[in-house]
Amino acid sequence: MVQRGLVLLFFLLLSIAGFSQQKFTLSGTITEASSNETLIGVTIAVPELRTGVTTNEYGFYSITLDPGEYQIVVSYLGFQDVIQTISLNENLKLNIEMSEEAQQLEEVVVTEDVERLDIRKPQMSVNTMSIKTIKQIPVILGEADVIKSILLLPGVTNAGEGASGFNVRGGAVDQNLILLDEAIIFNSSHLFGFFSVFNPDAIKDIKLYKGGIPARYGGRVSSVLDIFQKEGNSKEFKVNGGIGAVASRLLVEGPIVKDKSAFLIGGRGSYAHLFLPLFDIDNTAYFYDLNTKLNYNINDRNSLYLSGYFGRDVFGISESFVNTYGNSVGNFRWNHLFSDKLFSNLSVIYSDYYYGLKLDFVGFNWNSGIQNFNVKYDLKHYLNDKLQINYGLNNIYYGFNPGKIEPSNPESRIIEDQLTKKYANEFAAYIDVEHSITENLSLGYGLRFSNFVRLGQEALNIYANNNPVDFDPFLLIYEEAEPISVSNPGRKGSLATFNNFEPRVSLAYTINGNSSFKASYTRLAQYLHLLSNTSSPTPLDVWTPSGPFVKPQLLDQYAVGYFNNFNEGDYTIETEFFYKDIQNRIDYIDGANLIANDAIETVILNGEARAYGLELLLRKNEGKFQGWLAYTLSKSEQRTPGRVSTVDNGRSNLETGINFGEWYNTPYDKTHDIALYGSYELNDKWNFNTNFVFQTGQPTNYPVGQFEFQGLTVPYYGLRNQERLPNYHRIDLSATMTPKKNKGRKKQAEWIFSIYNVYNRRNAASINFRRNQDTGVNEAVRTSIFGIVPAVTYNFKF
Amino acid sequence: MKNSLVLLGILICFSACEDVIEVDLPETPQRLSIDGLVRVDTTETTTTVLIKASLTGAFFNDVTPADLTSISIINSDYVPSSALDLNVVQLNEVSPGQYEGSKQTNFFTEGELQLSIEHEGQRYLALTQFVPSTPITKLEQGDDTLFTGNETEIKVAFNDVADRDDFYLVDLDFDEYLVTEDEFYQGQVFQFSYFYDEGVTEGRELNIGLLGVDESFYNYMNQLIVQSGADQGPFQTPSATVRGNIINVTNIDNVNSFDNVEDPNNFALGYFAVVQEYTASLVIE
Repeated sequence: MVQRGLVLLFFLLLSIAGFSQQKFTLSGTITEASSNETLIGVTIAVPELRTGVTTNEYGFYSITLDPGEYQIVVSYLGFQDVIQTISLNENLKLNIEMSEEAQQLEEVVVTEDVERLDIRKPQMSVNTMSIKTIKQIPVILGEADVIKSILLLPGVTNAGEGASGFNVRGGAVDQNLILLDEAIIFNSSHLFGFFSVFNPDAIKDIKLYKGGIPARYGGRVSSVLDIFQKEGNSKEFKVNGGIGAVASRLLVEGPIVKDKSAFLIGGRGSYAHLFLPLFDIDNTAYFYDLNTKLNYNINDRNSLYLSGYFGRDVFGISESFVNTYGNSVGNFRWNHLFSDKLFSNLSVIYSDYYYGLKLDFVGFNWNSGIQNFNVKYDLKHYLNDKLQINYGLNNIYYGFNPGKIEPSNPESRIIEDQLTKKYANEFAAYIDVEHSITENLSLGYGLRFSNFVRLGQEALNIYANNNPVDFDPFLLIYEEAEPISVSNPGRKGSLATFNNFEPRVSLAYTINGNSSFKASYTRLAQYLHLLSNTSSPTPLDVWTPSGPFVKPQLLDQYAVGYFNNFNEGDYTIETEFFYKDIQNRIDYIDGANLIANDAIETVILNGEARAYGLELLLRKNEGKFQGWLAYTLSKSEQRTPGRVSTVDNGRSNLETGINFGEWYNTPYDKTHDIALYGSYELNDKWNFNTNFVFQTGQPTNYPVGQFEFQGLTVPYYGLRNQERLPNYHRIDLSATMTPKKNKGRKKQAEWIFSIYNVYNRRNAASINFRRNQDTGVNEAVRTSIFGIVPAVTYNFKF
Repeated sequence: MKNSLVLLGILICFSACEDVIEVDLPETPQRLSIDGLVRVDTTETTTTVLIKASLTGAFFNDVTPADLTSISIINSDYVPSSALDLNVVQLNEVSPGQYEGSKQTNFFTEGELQLSIEHEGQRYLALTQFVPSTPITKLEQGDDTLFTGNETEIKVAFNDVADRDDFYLVDLDFDEYLVTEDEFYQGQVFQFSYFYDEGVTEGRELNIGLLGVDESFYNYMNQLIVQSGADQGPFQTPSATVRGNIINVTNIDNVNSFDNVEDPNNFALGYFAVVQEYTASLVIE
């Protein structure tokens, strides 16, 4: 009933905007003047009508207005504004080139009504970050990093140094949809989380949705991190690169056909392993990645893009242990303009994630991975200045290889075995409307329909009472059930089908020109789960699809916020409160073994999760000193109550549930999260940056006692996550020096000096409780990853 | 596979540093704990059982011996050989918290065994069955190292018994253990290397044991090994109480109360298991 009501509301709202008079369309593409690189999120404002539009992911904009003469203001952070007068008596195509802000020119810029547009858009809970900012943020070993940068935003945390991924609003790492040029990236980390897989030189822009996620996205319940790669410079040949303490980068781009077609190829590799042999250590640890892109602008209406990514991490200890993993992505896109109001994009994407392990001292090799084939068709319909409709289709086919084991040498007697491969198909259709109802009120509303089919596989375990997890009512522990038989459903047919309607609603009410109130509701379904019972995922963790025993996660998120620009937009304040609730959050039985487990359903139970919090973001956008202060106060918990009515001997048994069925803190529950970032431009030569980060310690367990068993001293624990590690905090500094001689020559260079963790805080990554074998005394041992780390990076371009 | 995770952890710790810190720990009342692993050598006609009972202590304090009211092992499937032969072994305290008793070996290898304990007015019960093992066919020292270059390698091999799902506990001396199951080497010769950290001196005799265990005890030991201090590095799993198979049956009358679901905190730690053990020894060169 609710669903039908929603659909009705939909058409009702649409019909309000349906009538129209004779209007004309202004449309075009906005590019960066020196490279023809399209610019995303540029504001094209029409101040006298108090309206405007922003460019989409491909730099395209379209706005339909009454005939007349208008002044338009085109603005983009870090770029000089373009002000132009147009007379709109017919449909007008206007491509605009923008140039980066020249610092010495202190010209008066009309900023009025420009920043305000964001205030008026119903989209909330979103943060964008330019690659320029990302490159300025001080980071460990001077290696500019997308993931480490977003950790400075409110509501975003991670498990500390050397931890993969990130957590958004108390969500798990696997609940983030990470898109690189629309392709899904399954593992965003190099070296187990020390670096992210995205080469900053190849990236144009990033956008993080923490809530109010538009209907065109789906499949993950916490956030969407949308990363756009550069297209390549179609004006001139350019080289840039950097030499850092850990890795070096080189990126080459240039025109194939001037102004029409360009290429980009960028590589990055670490070389720490080169030094290891010097210390007589027969080990390797390195990563590399390669980004490529080709684009071809066929004509005004059609553009083609081809992009690729390939990255690998390799670890080895002599010959007996070798570990390789990484992502590969290939992506073909076709932009087509049906009319100056209707923009379309077709994407065909292949991506895979590979994980391989060679353990020679036990005598086996291990290979696992996930492949997906993704077709997307998205349309953006710019009906008029009040109404934009986005709609599209998406189909993803997945193949999962949970693991194949094989002998690693001729002597090994390990039996080759393939864990059952799994297959699934995810289809989605969506419609998403951005609608200005009045001058003060705008709405965003949309609906996503998703259909997930778990396809047939070679072998499927059948359990008594369809119950893969047994509960022992005496020992009060959950145990893996033994399958009563194994069926062979074959590759045809399906094992389980799920359908979900995912409505999204958001509104913005402008209180005055400088402040607005926003609210949103989002429902999202997630069909893939990363099975990991460690505090941060490891590359070994296996993605598993929903199916007969694993239900899809369903999220409901509510958010309200107050947004304010003051001092003519020099400062902005964003305040948001969110509450979210997730059904079917997987939880692991105590002592669950997830690795190489062919019957993963026997160690997991469906539980629930919830998170709520308050986020504050104060930004200073203009001037020599810029930066932001982010504060988040939040709570994130989960629970798995005992199932009822397991009938045994005619009695109905209760179960205790996991953690006695009580709510407990998730490992990513950080009560307080403070991040401060400041950038100060002293002069043309020197630019200084600093971070301060404070997070409440990560939930963990401390032993409540000890006992002895067969010579082992065993700490024993109470309920889950009752205690916390010590609070995490640190300050980082960096200084960028741009030599004066750069001026007026082609080659540009800069030096970045950075110090990570300035006051050498020994932040605990974990605390282990154990008996010291030498002294026989029990002790608590803190592991901290990085103390103070100074680094120098040299960047160049020509 | 578990090992690989630990290994990855070690790799991470290459750049990390460890130090001992002071931590305030929560306190809970003492709890009974039973170390009831009975290793049976089936070539002997008589088997002596030693079971240790203790009370838990705070992590930085001591574990104290427990004074049991009674402790016995019952085998209701056992057919006594004479009128003087009973189907129960009473264990007697030989030193504080250590209880001992003897019986012919076939008492332990056939039928269901019950460990029955009374302590401070509470009655505890554990059930188990003998699990067979297989002989160690090879034990030799190797010269490979793993990470620091100072480890001592030993190579261990055994023939897994076909058409039986086996779980093993390997006692590697120095209070070091590992568990393995035959999923990927069913009926094959399984050989693996184990690396001792520094500190294994020349001339030291290593005594290695291969114990057959059931799946539940395998899971139990797996958790115990991890929680007793194997460094997990950043890949720490959420630790929870590792519950063994010693049930508090004081309130179970099978009429009104059938299980302990309503009273989940009333249990003893530890495990009762009766297993076959094959041993081998090696003098480090």
